[in-house]
Amino acid sequence: MTTAALELIDLRKSFGKTEIIRGVNLAVGESERHAIIGPNGAGKSTLFNLITGRFPQTSGEVRLHGNNLAGKAPFEINRMGLSRSFQITNIFPKMTVFENVRCSLLWSLGYKYNFWSMVGRSRDLTEGAEQILDQINLLNRRDLPAGTLSYAEQRALEIGITIAGGADVIMLDEPTAGMSHSETDYIVELIRTVTVGKTLIMVEHDMGVVFGLADRISVLVYGELIATGRPEDVRADPKVQEAYLGAALEAEH
Amino acid sequence: MTNPMRDNQITTDPSKPAQRMRAGSMSTKVLPWVIAGAALLVLPFVFTNNSAITIMNQMAITIIFALAYNMLLGQGGMLSFGHAVYAGVGGFACMHVMSNTEFFAMLPLPALPIFGGLFGMGLAMIIGSFSTRSAGTVFAMISLGVGELIAACSVIIVAFFGGEEGVSGNRTYAMPFFGNEFLQQIDVYYLIAFWLMVSALLMYLFSRTPIGRMANAVRDNPERAEFLGYSSRWVRYYSFIFSGFFAGIAGGLFAINYEIVTEENLNTASSGVILLVTFLGGVGFFFGPIIGAIAFTLLQTVLSLQTELWAFYAGALFLATVMFFPGGLAGLLMMHVPAIKLGNASKLVVPYITTLIPAFIGIMGVSALVEMTFHVRHSSVGDEEMTVFWTTFNSHDLLPWAVAIGVTVVAFGIMRKMLPSLRAAWADANTSKGGAA
Repeated sequence: MTTAALELIDLRKSFGKTEIIRGVNLAVGESERHAIIGPNGAGKSTLFNLITGRFPQTSGEVRLHGNNLAGKAPFEINRMGLSRSFQITNIFPKMTVFENVRCSLLWSLGYKYNFWSMVGRSRDLTEGAEQILDQINLLNRRDLPAGTLSYAEQRALEIGITIAGGADVIMLDEPTAGMSHSETDYIVELIRTVTVGKTLIMVEHDMGVVFGLADRISVLVYGELIATGRPEDVRADPKVQEAYLGAALEAEH
Repeated sequence: MTNPMRDNQITTDPSKPAQRMRAGSMSTKVLPWVIAGAALLVLPFVFTNNSAITIMNQMAITIIFALAYNMLLGQGGMLSFGHAVYAGVGGFACMHVMSNTEFFAMLPLPALPIFGGLFGMGLAMIIGSFSTRSAGTVFAMISLGVGELIAACSVIIVAFFGGEEGVSGNRTYAMPFFGNEFLQQIDVYYLIAFWLMVSALLMYLFSRTPIGRMANAVRDNPERAEFLGYSSRWVRYYSFIFSGFFAGIAGGLFAINYEIVTEENLNTASSGVILLVTFLGGVGFFFGPIIGAIAFTLLQTVLSLQTELWAFYAGALFLATVMFFPGGLAGLLMMHVPAIKLGNASKLVVPYITTLIPAFIGIMGVSALVEMTFHVRHSSVGDEEMTVFWTTFNSHDLLPWAVAIGVTVVAFGIMRKMLPSLRAAWADANTSKGGAA
């Protein structure tokens, strides 16, 4: 069996006495699109932050292509090939759209802490950034400050920034949060095209969003995975219906 | 699949934006530098007397220092309260090179500032290694602490800082540079002008490099930068080191120009001044600190000949900038770009005149009141005659006070009356004819 792109082994996180993530085990294979869903407060974002090194875990392991990520800073994890987006739009609002994407290309194109070459003259940067802008359909917003874009456009830009670095494991934290139906359809389609051949792990509140997109779905409830499997199986799982859909139905009434 | 965002966008030619950017950029980028270089060459022929050249020397040194400071504040998002330390240490280093007569006799004077730069950079490497761990309050507090610490060292480590009287030297002992011994102020002017061009150009180019772009990214959103593979701390550290280098160059030029460096060059007051200069000019644009340095040096030199209270006015100007024009003088200028692009700049001329003239008279009235108060409180007993704005009168009479107060109130009153028309004109000038801009 090949090593999983991302593997969580008995991952736990406590804030004070409260255990938020209570022993999560999960293996996501190469090129798999995996969605983690769950009701509000299930710990989805915390799980995300543990994987990407934003918080240190209390115990357990996170493995990226078999390498333990314990104690690694976010920038180191990123260099190992994992990139993420944020639930609250997290871009560089004062810079232009083009500049946002170009910055996200710098490290992966090997510029590192270079202080002797001009970014404006590097064709690989300009062309690479424009290619990404084309993919996310923001080419005609190129020279606007990113902060002036519409909400959906900013979310698209954030996805662009996340994939630009060429990471093979992409993590998206509620990419469609706060969007209208047509915007959600648009973003889901965008995610589908830009993550071809990559491993995608996305957190979603809304099961409907991920249904057509994900190869497998995991359901997180109160810090534990209660089910993992193909979308149809997960939907049919009585435990899921009870814990998640039941809660969702309650919330609707 | 429908694409809701694309449908209602104005479609330009998406295949060509890069070329469009590049084609126009070359001439518009080089031109300002050519003009600046030419101006630096010609200025001494326009302002020929020695005091003008002294002022220009001071201006140029302040410009380099302010640009270096803005690498931190404007581009890197680091607020330093102790940046004079790097300029000061660079200056002291250069004074010691000057004192080492044997070595100095083999060194052409124009190369001396490099030693200042290297010492400033060296110190920045040490201090930055722990101060750039975070930006924000922690960085500001460390910079203040280090500033105080090194200023205090000046009376402890006398061998380097020369105690209270500082270190002095003689620049003419350097190896003659093509026969020039830099005896005249004008010779020093060209030396400083050369370094100004070189430093400003290098600092500008730095902002265009990958690390310079990431400095902006880290300033705006350090966390996002981390998730793009960059350590925010290293990015800040690099900016800090480069800033220390150019601050040290400024310090070295100070040493050459004044031939004495004292504790005053690195104390917290000097650090405060450079913050003020940079902010006054505007941190958001590369040329902001240049304008700030010119304006501040003029205030400091020209205004200080007119009034003892120049620092009061400088403070008031700074306050007004922070409160009303946070973009500084550069921001104020650049605000007009949209109106000019729309071809509407002429619409602003009349409202500006009708508003700014009363505002100017009002400010003159206030300053007259300030000067009169100062005169009444501080002149010696019996000396009741004073001159303000070419008018000589008795500061203890009632009439001048009544006039000054009257003028101030009426002028500001008119200004307030005129403000709505200026606002309307502003809105009008920034709206394109075809509707919303």
